[in-house]
Amino acid sequence: MKKSLMLLVVSLAFVLSLAPNLFAEVGVTDTEIHIGQWGPQTGPAAAWGSVARGTGAYFQWINDNGGIHGRKIVYHMFDDGYNPAKTVAGVKELQEGTGIFAWASGVGTSPGMAVKDYLAQNNVPWVGPAAGSLNWVNPPQRNLFAVYPLYDGEAKALVRYAIEKMGKKKVAVAYLNDEYGKNGLRGAQEELKAHGLKTVAEVSFEAADSDLNPHVMKLKQSDADMVLLWTTVTHAAKVVGISKAMKFEPQFMSTSTCSDFPLMMSITKGAWEGVICATFGELPDSDYPAIVKYKKEVFDKYAAKEERWGLFYYAGILFVEPMIEALKNVGPDLTREKFITEMEKIKGFKGLGAEVNFKPFDKNDMYSRQGASQTFLVQCLAEGKAKKLTEWMDIK
Amino acid sequence: MTDLIQMIVSGIATGSSYALMGLAMVIIYKTSEVPNFAQGEMALISSFFAMMLLTSFNLNVYLAFSLAFLFAAVLGCFLEFAVLRRAKEPNVLGMIVITIGIEMVILGFVSWKFGAEQKTMPFPIDPYDSLFIGDIFLKKLDILTLVSALVLMVVLFVFFRFSKLGLAMKATQQNSVAARIVGVRTNRILMVTWGISSLVGAVAGLLISPTIMHPYMMWDPMLKGFAAAVMGGMTSLPGAVVAAYMLGIIENLFGGYISIEFKTVVAFVIIVAVLCFKPSGLFARHYVKKV
Repeated sequence: MKKSLMLLVVSLAFVLSLAPNLFAEVGVTDTEIHIGQWGPQTGPAAAWGSVARGTGAYFQWINDNGGIHGRKIVYHMFDDGYNPAKTVAGVKELQEGTGIFAWASGVGTSPGMAVKDYLAQNNVPWVGPAAGSLNWVNPPQRNLFAVYPLYDGEAKALVRYAIEKMGKKKVAVAYLNDEYGKNGLRGAQEELKAHGLKTVAEVSFEAADSDLNPHVMKLKQSDADMVLLWTTVTHAAKVVGISKAMKFEPQFMSTSTCSDFPLMMSITKGAWEGVICATFGELPDSDYPAIVKYKKEVFDKYAAKEERWGLFYYAGILFVEPMIEALKNVGPDLTREKFITEMEKIKGFKGLGAEVNFKPFDKNDMYSRQGASQTFLVQCLAEGKAKKLTEWMDIK
Repeated sequence: MTDLIQMIVSGIATGSSYALMGLAMVIIYKTSEVPNFAQGEMALISSFFAMMLLTSFNLNVYLAFSLAFLFAAVLGCFLEFAVLRRAKEPNVLGMIVITIGIEMVILGFVSWKFGAEQKTMPFPIDPYDSLFIGDIFLKKLDILTLVSALVLMVVLFVFFRFSKLGLAMKATQQNSVAARIVGVRTNRILMVTWGISSLVGAVAGLLISPTIMHPYMMWDPMLKGFAAAVMGGMTSLPGAVVAAYMLGIIENLFGGYISIEFKTVVAFVIIVAVLCFKPSGLFARHYVKKV
């Protein structure tokens, strides 16, 4: 009897010693919130690695300004080299080893797709994947909140502008042969169909293609008066340059991923001038208050010396602003369920990018999880300056 | 008809950079029978070295390029001396794995040191300036690449055929033990071979850099150069060059008339076909060791 009682007391003591952990949320302590992000610092997409570094600087700034309800953000960023196998390995290691409360941003459709189901099964919140893919929200899933406007929406906005404002009729699409490129192609096709038109050429690119003469010849043969580029930055730069060499001069338009004008002008030796792009964030040199504030307080103070205040850098802030807003709104008693509820309450939120609106989860409404659906168009001027062609437009 | 001629001209232009990489691979293979998979990255680091001299030290283009060629030659010699030569009981497979290792180390170093953002090299010729003959266009930079590839092919061919060092290189490849017995310092020959090969690769790298520079820029030219070298027979310099031009033209015609999606894989289909039906290549007379 005495022995059984002893065993009971020891067991109870053991269970009670675990109690705080049993009830605490994964990745949250009294003083810390653990947030993870992957981002290519090496490999073919490393130029977009600045997104994850931008988020890091933003979190540092938040911590130095008192954190969130007394908790500091512990930021776990890893380099996946844009390799989905590495994304999976890194996410699982951090999630199951360290314990991550929520995931922020993360560059790329393919790396994101590789961990999407894993995060959903474990109900781990994920806010602001750094790609405008339809895959995040079609169908929507409860834990995943998209902030990047959809690529097909951007494509629609560009094609609409070309047809309605510039009188273009012959639209060709040059697209990367993956989900990203096909999202752009689909948007262009739908918008053209709405105007009773069709593409005059659809030219696909493989990521490894380096000789682009045949692709540009096909575009030239189509006699297009507008070419929509939904490719990598390198491909887009080469297509515009080779077209110039061929004296093929349509209006080029491109996605937000190619809207870093100083970079595009530099790598095309000026041939990017006149190209029109969609964008998801206020312009880097604008006097928009949030741009001025973050440049001064985050970038100037925390960015590495060789870093550049470009769109991709502050996209790292833009994509996670709603996350920080929700974390603040939850209050000191932080759980994933409360966080998701607060994310759903975000309405009319305006940070560095488009207005963000979420709704309570509805499996039949992708806009319950697609927060931003606005874009605006900019044209590249000499020296990489941007001219705003439109205000924010709602494209659904 | 204009389209056909344009595709052939574009194919020749593209083939020039493949030809330079093919030449670089053949040079090493001729003496050691090792395909050097670090060839592209050796050219890469030499190109970034030139870029650093131009942008951080403000040297003029000609001086920066000359120093980059010197750097490339020294790098090639160094890698042979410090890495390849240290391999214990080397066999061809082991050596190939070592070259893949070198390739990864250099790629990682360039990504770390120079960053991944795309750049372009300042160069006297605008990469998108072109000449028109009727409706046919050719970029001026492509003309320079074409001339460089042909001149280098002739120089190297003469060097291997008639110079004492060239003959010693050939002897080293055919029978290194016999070459050593008759007084050829085979180790030194191999080192010089790596230096020359690295230098030729650097020419390709520096001619690609004015268009675009990033850590992965040499991948495609290296693989296509390798395909051309295999097609040409791995030991034949003119063979590699002719095969490179054939490859460039086939790719362009395939992209233009058959399928642009599968244009890139044509080169690798050709490698498989050549290895199946004529393993010694289209142009090489393979040396057979006799007992």
